[in-house]
Amino acid sequence: MGDGLSRRDLLKAGGALAAAAVGPQLGLHGALAQSPKRGGTISLRLWDPPHFDPHLTISYKTNILYTFSHNRLLKYKAGPTVQPGTFTLEGDLAESWTQPNETTYIFKLRKGVRWHNKPPVNGRELTADDVKYTFDRFVNEKGNAYRNMMAALDKVDVLDKYTVKFTLKEPYVWFLDMVANPMALAIIAREAVEKFGDLKKPEAVVGTGPWMLDSYRPNVGLTFVRNPNFFLNGLPYIDKVEVTVDEDNASRMAAFIAGKYDIGWEASGTINRVDWVQIKDTLKQRRPKLQTLEFASNQMSHIYMRTDKPPFNDARVRRAISLAFDRQGLLDAVAEGVGVFNPAVPAAFKDWALPVDQLGEGAQYYKFDPARAKKLLAEAGYPNGFPATVSYATYGSTIQVDAVQLLLKYLKDIGIDAKPIQQEYGAYISTTFYGKYESMAFGPQTPFLDPDNYLFGPYMPGELKNQSHVNDPVLGDMLIRQRRTADVAKRREVLHEIQRYVAKQQYYVYAASGVYIGVWDGALKNYVPNLGYDWGGRLLAAWLDR
Amino acid sequence: MLRRYLLKRLVVAIPSLVIASLIVFTLPRLLPGDAVQLMLEEKAYGKDVDDLRHKLGLDRPIYIQYFTWVGNVLRGNLGESLWTKRTVTEELGMRLPITLLLGGLAICFAIIIAIPIGVLSAVRADTMRDYVARSAAIIGLSVPSFWIATLAIVLPAIWWGWTPHLGFTEFSKSPGAHVLQFLLPALILGIASAAGIMRLTRAMLLEVLRQDYVRTAWAKGLREGVVVLKHSLKNALIPVVTILGIQLAQIFSGTVIIESIFQLPGMGRFLFDAILQRDYPVIQGINLLVVSIIVLMNLLVDLLYAVLDPRIRYS
Repeated sequence: MGDGLSRRDLLKAGGALAAAAVGPQLGLHGALAQSPKRGGTISLRLWDPPHFDPHLTISYKTNILYTFSHNRLLKYKAGPTVQPGTFTLEGDLAESWTQPNETTYIFKLRKGVRWHNKPPVNGRELTADDVKYTFDRFVNEKGNAYRNMMAALDKVDVLDKYTVKFTLKEPYVWFLDMVANPMALAIIAREAVEKFGDLKKPEAVVGTGPWMLDSYRPNVGLTFVRNPNFFLNGLPYIDKVEVTVDEDNASRMAAFIAGKYDIGWEASGTINRVDWVQIKDTLKQRRPKLQTLEFASNQMSHIYMRTDKPPFNDARVRRAISLAFDRQGLLDAVAEGVGVFNPAVPAAFKDWALPVDQLGEGAQYYKFDPARAKKLLAEAGYPNGFPATVSYATYGSTIQVDAVQLLLKYLKDIGIDAKPIQQEYGAYISTTFYGKYESMAFGPQTPFLDPDNYLFGPYMPGELKNQSHVNDPVLGDMLIRQRRTADVAKRREVLHEIQRYVAKQQYYVYAASGVYIGVWDGALKNYVPNLGYDWGGRLLAAWLDR
Repeated sequence: MLRRYLLKRLVVAIPSLVIASLIVFTLPRLLPGDAVQLMLEEKAYGKDVDDLRHKLGLDRPIYIQYFTWVGNVLRGNLGESLWTKRTVTEELGMRLPITLLLGGLAICFAIIIAIPIGVLSAVRADTMRDYVARSAAIIGLSVPSFWIATLAIVLPAIWWGWTPHLGFTEFSKSPGAHVLQFLLPALILGIASAAGIMRLTRAMLLEVLRQDYVRTAWAKGLREGVVVLKHSLKNALIPVVTILGIQLAQIFSGTVIIESIFQLPGMGRFLFDAILQRDYPVIQGINLLVVSIIVLMNLLVDLLYAVLDPRIRYS
């Protein structure tokens, strides 16, 4: 527990993690013993996409829908045996893959995979050319903001109809995770792009996935119907996926109570804890068979600051801010007191995150200790604190507003008189998020599924996401090393080393994350929620027993 | 005479529309961040922002963008969404009827609720009925419509596991359900407007009822209904009709939230998203359309004066 980090904090966090760990073993294996049933319609609340081209938007609203209609080369395993927060690679369109050397990957595709039987592709067989076309478009499309995920990719070669070779410019051990990431790398059909100019129109949604887009009603909803020619025999079991666009929380809550949605309406099929507390008793009466599973969220906010200039270039000042930041107090205020403390890698990633009490010297700065924070400020030459600003956007969330208000109070308590600068989302993204702010800022990060994305961008000099303007050669060396360490155990060691190092430096001061409550209807079998956008993947082998 | 007046009013409307077009074109561009930055968000490469801005034509001088847009508008082309590439006209074609129906029904509800209560309140001034009506109006003015809408949805769900119709049924699928789904949101939207109209109706009618010609009507032994409805109400309604024109703008802004709550795919929600995404052609198109509708409705209100009061002449 380092130097006095509150036991209460970690007990709460640990309890939540333990619940997540044992959850899948509670009654869920029973679903495996039943024989699956074909048919039925599942009703979901998802989001209206800005359009349907995954290479021209980074919106989760588009990417989630693609997990129903499209496949990737690889995917993360889903189902009741998977613990939320863990990600095991398995083949999707790729039957197998090999890595002959550090920079070469060869994928063997499944044979007989057919595109949806819709124009303009009309059910033809998927080949290696489709894979090459997808990746070429992904890296060359000017509007693709995700293309840095493939920054290491040099070229894609088609070896034969079912074999494709990827050559990287330099070793990048997270390459397979990027290929499996449901955020961006669905395999698309050339004919659809050529016919429509891009994939923005709903007619261009032609994939190889388990469901086919049947209709799209802007601002209203979408309907997916079962793909009868899906390459995994007998799957999916569910005939129809009915998606409702519902932008109002009260309306969503009421609809869920009334049984209109089968899965929780928020990210990853969850319900916000604050909402859950309000409606759980009603749900017990109205929907007694609901299933729940708690797991830590990878939504992580942080304080970032101009570490390239005084006073934040002094580690003592940054440590003081961390000590003044009552993480548990914030959880109590906005998340019913339940959450997990994050090192630089979200605690939700069980395979990679180091528990806070194992952060070594850095663990002490996770303790809430304003007296010590003041002392550190005095040592740094600021006995009376200093004026500052905190730039932020509300993200349309009252939780974010509450968090900033508390943060300002915590800073004030140690003499830092921070003025809030609230920015509209567009203004925030174009200035503060890119590191253009006065002294401090506070906001969430994109919820990736790999640790590299939480570390490399924020800490590597010259990277756009280096919001704290970190320039630390020691750290830079470790960041590159982890990207080149293929051995998982050794890589984990490097990642742990990085987490310990940055906990000591406090270039970013990480807030705690909430613990999600995954909720689904009792009639939905063989389903377990997990982090990430892969809704389609998690429902692929699920069935309805109404 | 009426034709000349109409023509004159339409000519006067042109500068209003030009000024409105300048405002709706310029203001969104003054907001920090543009569509390109939002499309690329934090993940852009250095040159991507400039490349995409060029691709979307946002790197041209602002006056050229403005005149190109105005030229296209005059040819009936409102441009295309920077995000979806669908034409703004096509998008509005889908959404405008929904918002118009919602707004129209809301105005109807406002009138149906406000005028009878306002009349009753004036005729029975300073009685218990009047106090109740005025208190209700104060509540209607004070309570935001989104709060009433939220309660109307959440409470039945908690109490009975039932919700009013949520989602959208197209007219082609079920005409009855299509119209029915608008009733509750329109009623809620109409309540706030009704409160203001009711208070004005009461105040104006009270003023008219004190006039000499009304006293004469009473002295002639006319029935109360005739005195109030035939001789007084018509004259009292002129300011009320003026307010109705103004209420229209309020109702349009109210649709943004009500459409979201009741999942109606109208223009309000569309405009809100477009502002967040800095989708300039959509913001411009919707605002210009709304301004045009409000200008036309106010013209209509002016014409209604003559119907209500034949003494009014247009010159």
